[in-house]
Amino acid sequence: MDDRELIARVRDGDPGAERLLYDQHVDRVYRLAYRMTGDDDLARDCTQETFIRAFERLDQFRGEAALGTWIQAIAGTVVLNGLRKVKRFRTREVELDESLAHGGSPRAPEPDLKEQLERAIDDLPDKYRMVFVMHDVEGYTHEEIGSALGMPVGTSKAQLFRARARLRDALSEFAEEWAS
Amino acid sequence: MSDDRFEQFLRREARGYHEPPAVPREEMWRAIADERRAGRRPTRRPTWIYWGAGIAAALVIGVGIGRYSAPGEDTVTLAAAGPAETARTSATQVAFRLTAAQHLARVEVFLIGFRTDTRSGAPGAGTAPDARSLLATTRVLIDSPAAEDVMLRQLLEDIELVLSQIASYAGGSDSTELDFIDESLDQRSVLFRLRTATDAGPAGTMTQGVL
Repeated sequence: MDDRELIARVRDGDPGAERLLYDQHVDRVYRLAYRMTGDDDLARDCTQETFIRAFERLDQFRGEAALGTWIQAIAGTVVLNGLRKVKRFRTREVELDESLAHGGSPRAPEPDLKEQLERAIDDLPDKYRMVFVMHDVEGYTHEEIGSALGMPVGTSKAQLFRARARLRDALSEFAEEWAS
Repeated sequence: MSDDRFEQFLRREARGYHEPPAVPREEMWRAIADERRAGRRPTRRPTWIYWGAGIAAALVIGVGIGRYSAPGEDTVTLAAAGPAETARTSATQVAFRLTAAQHLARVEVFLIGFRTDTRSGAPGAGTAPDARSLLATTRVLIDSPAAEDVMLRQLLEDIELVLSQIASYAGGSDSTELDFIDESLDQRSVLFRLRTATDAGPAGTMTQGVL
């Protein structure tokens, strides 16, 4: 069944078609949400919200892009908005923890390369991180990223370049390790 | 080390970044079904948009007729002194201000809805057409006697900016655009000023101006 037929059946209220649409796209949405949030609950919330919105707004889908790209665009927005909310919450949480700690905790051991890489990716601005994760981790093309995030292909490439440059700077002290 | 080798390293090592577990398909599907059953329905365009379009059309016609039939300078000089003309001018201004007050209330509802939508995800695809409809009315009001009130004019101009940003928003994909719109709303305190204006109500509008 192609996208057009599937959409028509979903619009007609066919529950089997709804499930088929979900099955076709859920893995990609959940994987991206999990990669970006690093948290199963948040990834589930984002995935569920993405499909609820997709079903609600399917009437507005004009078919200018592939259905998967359209769903991925919704997912991108939902995930970035979700991250913003979580970040605000976590910032308050950290402030509270710091005020309670009074500097009594022992010093953490130096991170290894893998941990340092994870931290460096975490520290990227969300929009760079999204492009980096989509391209270098999940294997999307720049065309797919551009369509999903509503940006020109050149912008996607530029953001990936900047993300990699920041990671390279952050990992400079491990240069010998990654070179080997 | 070359860029190529660093990129190879990144692609190899970053695969382990937040490695997703097996996708919990069934649980998520059940949650989606429950949520949809609980009453979330496709968003429909609120009826006030159609009222807004009607008001915009009426204003365009009204302003057009007013300009076409406006007396010449000499006549104005003669008639301005007359009590009948003064009353007519005052009634016209009150009518425009009432229309402006109703329009501001609609813009407030729209912007609050827009902000809520963007904070909980992406705004609906109907957002841009709705913004265009409100934008048209706003521009007509800027050209109308209602805008003789300086504060109202400034508010309408700020609303015009925000609505034009929303109207040109491509829809659901680029959050940078949304950030700009959010900034415009915040920097110009548009929602606060709208609330103040609409709290004054039509009675206040008639006697003291909209703001």
